Amino acid sequence: MPVFKTPFNGYSVKFSPFYENRLAVATAQNFGILGNGRVHVLSLPPSPGAPVAEIAAYDTADAVYDIAWSESHDSILVAAVADGSVKVYDSNLPPASNPLRSLHEHSREVHSVDYNPTRRDSFLTASWDDSVKLWTVDRPASIRTFKEHAYCVYAAAWNPRHADVFASASGDCTVRVWDVREPGSTMIIPAHDFEVLYTDWNKYDDCILATASVDKTIRVWDVRSFRVPVTVLNGHSYAVRKVKFSPHRGSLMVSCSYDMAVCLWDYMVEDALIGRYDHHTEFAVGVDMSVLVEGLLASTGWDELVYVWQHGTDPRAP
Amino acid sequence: MAMRELVSGGAACAVPGSSSSSNPLAALANAFTGSSSKTQERLKEVPVATPTGPEQFFPQPDEHLRALPGSELDGAFLPPNAQGSAFMRTFRSAYQNDFSDAWDEVQPGPLPPVAADMRVGPVPQSPPTLEGPPQRMLSGLLHSFVGSSHGGIPFRPAQLPMLGLSEGDKRCIRDRSTIMARHFFADKSEDFINAQVNALLHSLDIDSDVRGRGPLPGRFREMEDYWNESQGMMRPGPHVADGWANEFNQLRVNHGNPESWAHSFEQQHGANGWASEFEQEHSQLMSTDRMRGTNVPNVAAMEQTRMLAHTLAQNNDPKFQNSKFLQFVSKMSRGELIFDDNQVKPASGDWASEFQQQYNAGPSWADEYVQHDGPDQWASEFATEREQHRSVDDQWVNEFSKLNVNDWADEFGQQVAEGAFGESTGDDWANAYEEYFNEQVAMKQRSDSSRGVYVFSDMNPYVGHPNPLKEGQELFRKGLLSEAILALEAEVLKNPNNSEGWRLLGIAHAENDDDQQAIAAMMKAEEADPTNLEVLLALGVSHTNELEQAAALRYLYGWLHHHPKYKALTSLETPESFYHADVARLYNDAAEMSPEDADVHIVLGVLYNLSREYDRAIASFQTALKLKPHDYSLWNKLGATQANSVQSADAILAYQRALDLKPNYVRAWANMGISYANQGMYEDSIRYYVRALAMNPKADNAWQYLRISLSSASRQDMLEACDSRNLDVLQKEFPL
Repeated sequence: MPVFKTPFNGYSVKFSPFYENRLAVATAQNFGILGNGRVHVLSLPPSPGAPVAEIAAYDTADAVYDIAWSESHDSILVAAVADGSVKVYDSNLPPASNPLRSLHEHSREVHSVDYNPTRRDSFLTASWDDSVKLWTVDRPASIRTFKEHAYCVYAAAWNPRHADVFASASGDCTVRVWDVREPGSTMIIPAHDFEVLYTDWNKYDDCILATASVDKTIRVWDVRSFRVPVTVLNGHSYAVRKVKFSPHRGSLMVSCSYDMAVCLWDYMVEDALIGRYDHHTEFAVGVDMSVLVEGLLASTGWDELVYVWQHGTDPRAP
Repeated sequence: MAMRELVSGGAACAVPGSSSSSNPLAALANAFTGSSSKTQERLKEVPVATPTGPEQFFPQPDEHLRALPGSELDGAFLPPNAQGSAFMRTFRSAYQNDFSDAWDEVQPGPLPPVAADMRVGPVPQSPPTLEGPPQRMLSGLLHSFVGSSHGGIPFRPAQLPMLGLSEGDKRCIRDRSTIMARHFFADKSEDFINAQVNALLHSLDIDSDVRGRGPLPGRFREMEDYWNESQGMMRPGPHVADGWANEFNQLRVNHGNPESWAHSFEQQHGANGWASEFEQEHSQLMSTDRMRGTNVPNVAAMEQTRMLAHTLAQNNDPKFQNSKFLQFVSKMSRGELIFDDNQVKPASGDWASEFQQQYNAGPSWADEYVQHDGPDQWASEFATEREQHRSVDDQWVNEFSKLNVNDWADEFGQQVAEGAFGESTGDDWANAYEEYFNEQVAMKQRSDSSRGVYVFSDMNPYVGHPNPLKEGQELFRKGLLSEAILALEAEVLKNPNNSEGWRLLGIAHAENDDDQQAIAAMMKAEEADPTNLEVLLALGVSHTNELEQAAALRYLYGWLHHHPKYKALTSLETPESFYHADVARLYNDAAEMSPEDADVHIVLGVLYNLSREYDRAIASFQTALKLKPHDYSLWNKLGATQANSVQSADAILAYQRALDLKPNYVRAWANMGISYANQGMYEDSIRYYVRALAMNPKADNAWQYLRISLSSASRQDMLEACDSRNLDVLQKEFPL
């Protein structure tokens, strides 16, 4: 299956919601500790043997921690940059016209960006400045800042059904659920005893969300009764960096971890760990599931490789 | 075809290699994973101006450059149209229920044609600001450091040349590595993580003067917030705990309850859910508080520190054994680097240093000791730790046994019992720590002030020579640099005010790849004759290399100021501070005045290196070379600049020219090696380093580079020869 070598350490990979063969990769030099960043827009080859083509690449002065595709324009990408900026790129435009925008409001590293999949006009950025900001692509300034977390916010994720609801995962060990029409968070879930690094909503049940934590576990929560998790998934041996629900099967999740593994889970069944891929040789920090092709997975890590493979096959198979 | 263009455009945009060259620390991580990219530059590339004094320099990372990206469109793309600003006003004044309206207003129906809209007023592209000095050196150092853990070869920390990390860079390194370390070492303690980061920062010479937010203990801070919240029950405010349920209710009503899930949540839990949550948090908090009760605020226990090393050592997964990153960090964790506590962390640091002072044990000991929750628990914990730890860390065990621990533990227990540390242990510890800290500061100052002090060789056969200056000049001309240095030392010992002697000595050191001595000698030369143009130029370049931009500009300005031809360009009074742009402008004026003066072009080349305008720097040096084609140091400068601008292949040609002109030019040999290393041709680079070292075995930097290349080329078998500086073996193994 296709493999792409990035010059820097991979941080995030996202399938395009418009083209099944397109993906974007966020990378950072020096593990994102110091250095440049680069966004790659890649096109998967029509036949498995052919090389991955790079459609565009954008350099930044600081690490790029995350990337998100616009849900409304097939060529637009939003990058979360470690210098606190949020950059908007249009891969249809020549490099000279990019970035289209560079939005400087976060005072510290922007760690994640999530495009609203229902309204399709806005996106969220989560930053180490403890805040989440809400933006629309056509405005030069953020619409709102959500600042309640007491420590770095590592991720913010829109609810797939409610266009105004999102969850944020923070190093303050909580996940907060917000409704942008309300002034403050509507729910605080003390989700883990350690930092929460990621959260994602179930695509089929709008009350279910999953959290990934430094405590090595993934927890699945029902916001209607969040005092105890629906389930706790053990299997990673180091902090879990990301967890994402499948767009195709309600109980399927994929995760990646500092233990270098990418794992597939079905949280409804007893032996939840249903797949484990050990293809990365350094921390696996980016993973995604294709919306357009069922079972198609992509991952990236600090080994500077981007893998794309069909679930059940060997990512490293040629 | 557009796509095609894009592809190539993208590639062009990527500035091959510049990416990697850009950062200080470029290496750092590379070192972690050993993925050093080929294009990385390293510090020693640009040699100096002055007719004879090659110096390296690397440009200073400019803060303002860092700020560039993005500034390109501040306020540019959206004209302040009425609707927009009205919206913002509305929004800002909105609170409570208005949020809803504001949010709805955000999307007035269908999306505006975003792409088209966004294209309005093309945003001027700022070139990717790839800041930071070339950091090949660092990369390599860390790489070899990491590599050393593979072969079990003890890592010998090398003294890094100044890396030119800006404050911003330092802050990034500190904050990010702290936050990330927190993730890697999931279940390790705060202290452990701090120790890791401190080790890293220490090895990079990042110290407490770095301002920044610094690491925040997430867990506890969060609890503190809860505590504050709970304490603030009486305090009015939207997010106070008891206000929450009401508020939620109210809002829900106001919104017509659009979200059934929210409703159901409220039904199920409402205030009760919150209350119980609070209870839980409160109990957590209590435990924190209890822990705070001891004199050690950081709860974490030190055994976790060692447990990490332990865990890593125990993890048989070959992937982990091979993870360079983890190896690097675990190596650090084992106290092989000194955990010189950069952050003033109240109690923990005190304990550590106090302990260190009293018992003069290894740093790992001290840190372990630090972590204990309190003296009373110490003995028992110590015993358990000892059990756990015995197999883990040999070094530690050795130290441990030397200390005769049982006695020590008893003694300590007794002291505590007797209140030997006083009633308020914390104060004493703090005082002791302060002492220790001051000592450290003083030491650092001493080492700083030792810069610029010229160190003479022992046993100088030229002392007593009738005309050591002449002898030195002759030896220098023949390229016998080390001998020339001795002769010139004899000269300046005899005539300490001989500016020319000092100057030549400085140049000889520079060509011999010894910058510290070169600078020291040049400063003496300047002392003896403050208006010597060549000295001023050499010092300007040296300070450029040392990233002391202000000093560099002062000397370069001084050169113009004292130059009979260009004096008129400068003002009568020497300004108190200089700006790069001003000085560059003066030199450009000078170049216009006399375009045939190679020196002016050389300085311009140096200045452009300082501002990292490598293309202009290259052009300047090339102009100078047309005027002075036989100036070997100029070829070296050109090569170094090309290397810095990621044209390592061109650089090799330039160095070759320098070596054709002056075969004994140690620095050019070493630079050649660097350029090969930058292209990933480590075997080749080794040969050049060995050649350079054969000519000057005292070139410490070259030894370090050699070691790095050996590691990178997987020639660990030769590391011993390198460490023992056995040139015979190396020359035999790597003939050029």
